[in-house]
Amino acid sequence: MAYTKAKIKDLVDGKIDRDTLHTMLATPKDKERFQIYLEILQEQVDWDDPIILPLGPKLYIVQRQSDKKWMIRSQAGYDFCEWDQNWKLHARIRVRSTPAQMEELYPRLMAPSPEWQVIREYFCPLSGDLLDVEAPTPWYPVIHDFEPDIDTFYRDWLDLPVPERA
Amino acid sequence: MPLDKSNNRKVQVLGIDAGGTMTDTFFVDSEGEFVVGKAQSTPQNEALGLIASSKEGLEHWGLTLEEALSGIQTGVYSGTAMLNRVVQRKGLRCGLIVNAGMEDFHRMGRAIQAYLGFAYEDRIHLNTHYYDEPLVPRHLTRGVMERVDMSGTVVIPLREDTARQAARDLIAQDVEGIVISLLHSYRNPGHERRVRDIVQEEVAASGKSIPVFASTDYYPVRKETHRTNTTILEAYAAEPSRQTLNKISSAFKENGSKFDFRVMATHGGTISWKAKELARTIVSGPIGGVVGAKYLGEVLGYSNIACSDIGGTSFDVALITQNELTIRNDPDMARLVLSLPLVAMDSVGAGAGSFIRLDPYTKAIKLGPDSAGYRVGVCWAESGIETVTISDCHVILGYLNPDNFLGGQVKLDRERAWSAMKEQIADPLGLSVEDAAAGVIELLDSDLRDYLRSMISGKGSTPGNFVCFSYGGAGPVHTYGYTEGLGFEDVIVPAWAAGFSAFGCAAADFEYRYDKSLDINIATDASADLKANQAKTLQAAWEELRERVLEEFEINGYSPDRVKLQPGFRMQYRGQLNDLEIESPITEAHSAEDWDKLVEAFNDTYGRVYAASARSPELGYSVTGAIMRGTVPIPKPKIPKEELQGETPPEDAKLGTRKFYRHKTWVDAQLYQMEKLQPGNRITGPAIIESDATTFVVPGGFETFLDGHRLFHLKEV
Repeated sequence: MAYTKAKIKDLVDGKIDRDTLHTMLATPKDKERFQIYLEILQEQVDWDDPIILPLGPKLYIVQRQSDKKWMIRSQAGYDFCEWDQNWKLHARIRVRSTPAQMEELYPRLMAPSPEWQVIREYFCPLSGDLLDVEAPTPWYPVIHDFEPDIDTFYRDWLDLPVPERA
Repeated sequence: MPLDKSNNRKVQVLGIDAGGTMTDTFFVDSEGEFVVGKAQSTPQNEALGLIASSKEGLEHWGLTLEEALSGIQTGVYSGTAMLNRVVQRKGLRCGLIVNAGMEDFHRMGRAIQAYLGFAYEDRIHLNTHYYDEPLVPRHLTRGVMERVDMSGTVVIPLREDTARQAARDLIAQDVEGIVISLLHSYRNPGHERRVRDIVQEEVAASGKSIPVFASTDYYPVRKETHRTNTTILEAYAAEPSRQTLNKISSAFKENGSKFDFRVMATHGGTISWKAKELARTIVSGPIGGVVGAKYLGEVLGYSNIACSDIGGTSFDVALITQNELTIRNDPDMARLVLSLPLVAMDSVGAGAGSFIRLDPYTKAIKLGPDSAGYRVGVCWAESGIETVTISDCHVILGYLNPDNFLGGQVKLDRERAWSAMKEQIADPLGLSVEDAAAGVIELLDSDLRDYLRSMISGKGSTPGNFVCFSYGGAGPVHTYGYTEGLGFEDVIVPAWAAGFSAFGCAAADFEYRYDKSLDINIATDASADLKANQAKTLQAAWEELRERVLEEFEINGYSPDRVKLQPGFRMQYRGQLNDLEIESPITEAHSAEDWDKLVEAFNDTYGRVYAASARSPELGYSVTGAIMRGTVPIPKPKIPKEELQGETPPEDAKLGTRKFYRHKTWVDAQLYQMEKLQPGNRITGPAIIESDATTFVVPGGFETFLDGHRLFHLKEV
């Protein structure tokens, strides 16, 4: 079943009506969905390098036109690193590790104890957009969330040529 | 339905079934003859579809609407207006008063409400679950301080000032109704009634006019969420529906009617649109068919009936065992759990309008769960439908006459259906269009057949003990398919299949029914004193309910002496999970002997419904509820009785032939005009019997016989 681009845009913007959403969830995914999805995301960013895969809200893997490198880039245009590296290591980080910092978010006694758990917030250095949050034990390394197998995804799942990569 | 009668016929009864797809009207005259009218539903203003449908039906009798309406004594409505209002959550702005500390239970609801009404695949697919906005928002909910425990003992006395404050808060927010539902008020209604009185005092003091609904006055039954939801519906949805019914009533009055409409209610009786408890009319259409089947069964002597109804959107099945309907006490509707007595019925989301799609990965054919509803399918060009439906298959295979759908009101385009079927289903599967369409029909038939079989075996019975009634606009098209090989005692298609639900509405009693939860527990060897005590508890509940039933009839101008009262109760073996509804053999219960009679009636019924050997009296008995039903006599449609003619159908009933595809071959099916067939006629397939509102398919290998009651009997040969 095909949906119009406007419907998919509603989905991306979180404004889709309940009935269509239900049908989408309950029926097999429409074949052309991913490409339309990418088109919509592409229209929402100010740069022209093609998006290969969205990684999260305001975070993408893009093919940098100048050198064909796949980079992890924020909506504001900051290139963190290459696509298979942990972008969080290149972000601005705030660690909430004191009761006072926790209580900015949670009521007293309902917050985690900082000896057991800290909250790490990762920001875009250009815009200050909060791109990700993790809540591990204090000593835990920065988590590398996701290393996508883009080649297989494009080739075997989407039936699309894999974009060029330097 | 012969056309030769002169026009001095007196139309007596009007039954209406305003469904999502079609609005059916069913007129019965003083001779018991009837005619069915059909028109597409007009959800914007139901009265339009109703009037159109009536005119269409009366045309067959050569009557105008005005001529017919003046003589009608009874009009029964069933429809989806209230259900739609609740589904779309477009009710009145209500306030809710509950126990302090319990203010969030209504908006939290029950977890099951997050997926009620979903297809099985979606139920297990958590992503699709969601919670609706509560009927009453949190900011219009107030708590009062009091507590009654489950035995009815007061644990915290009512702090009246909190009730007064709650009432004032809600009144100040200009609510259009105030609902009160306190914990365990079905067991001890004292506090809730006091709160109700306080709220009424405050409403009066404010000078506003706001109706007040206490759960104990309406649904004094267990389960807070169910009881509260149902009481809220009275305030939220039933009041606006009263206006709708009033509007329909007026539309008919403008055309000369003199009767007051009654509405089909969930318990299988009809009630006035002026009734206090109107929420129970929330669903009624499919019930009409079951009530009609029961009535027909009673008159003609069928006691076990499997009722099957295919409409545009669903396949509904209900079983009548020993002339008794099964009543469910806590049904769900519009994604709400409710405390209403509902004629038990199971639905599969597969009807004539169900969409057909291919799974892009497995290439499996998938039917529904969504459907084109009244928009038929691709074959109707104006529908805007692009996905093929079951009806498209019917048109492709020659089951339906594209020029006579709804008597020609809707022209269907076989070419359109053909191309869409080819592109969407046949080509991807590498099949011919005929084979693809026939495959879809077979798939649907086998789904429905399995479903019917499992329902009957779930009752510990076999189809051989049941007569299958098949009705609904699309029922007779599929009757052969979903009954084939099941071995029903008989398979019956009423000639008025399309208007069968409306017929059922007309055949339903004018009946009010009230329920109350009880917790009576007693051992088999209990002392006579204890038995007498329990009998008195039940009697007190019956008296309370009796008052309510009589009060409802008073509103409609029936004095108590004209009302026939039938008490009932729900009983189970102690410790078992399911109770049975029993019609009480005695009208009042006072003594240990009376109690024993109740127990005996329960044991009998249990043995009949399940098996005599499954009875477990050693466990003792629980009574979980008291029931009071009251009826007054009303005119009902007579079942036609005509002389049998010869077996050969008259020549003028023949309409030529049409290409019909089944089992990989095209054959010429003989076409007949249903109305011109005579009782006694026997027709061997392949044949298609057409009328304006329904099509009865008799494929090769089947034979049908029209009896004197205008019922077709279908059998395999």
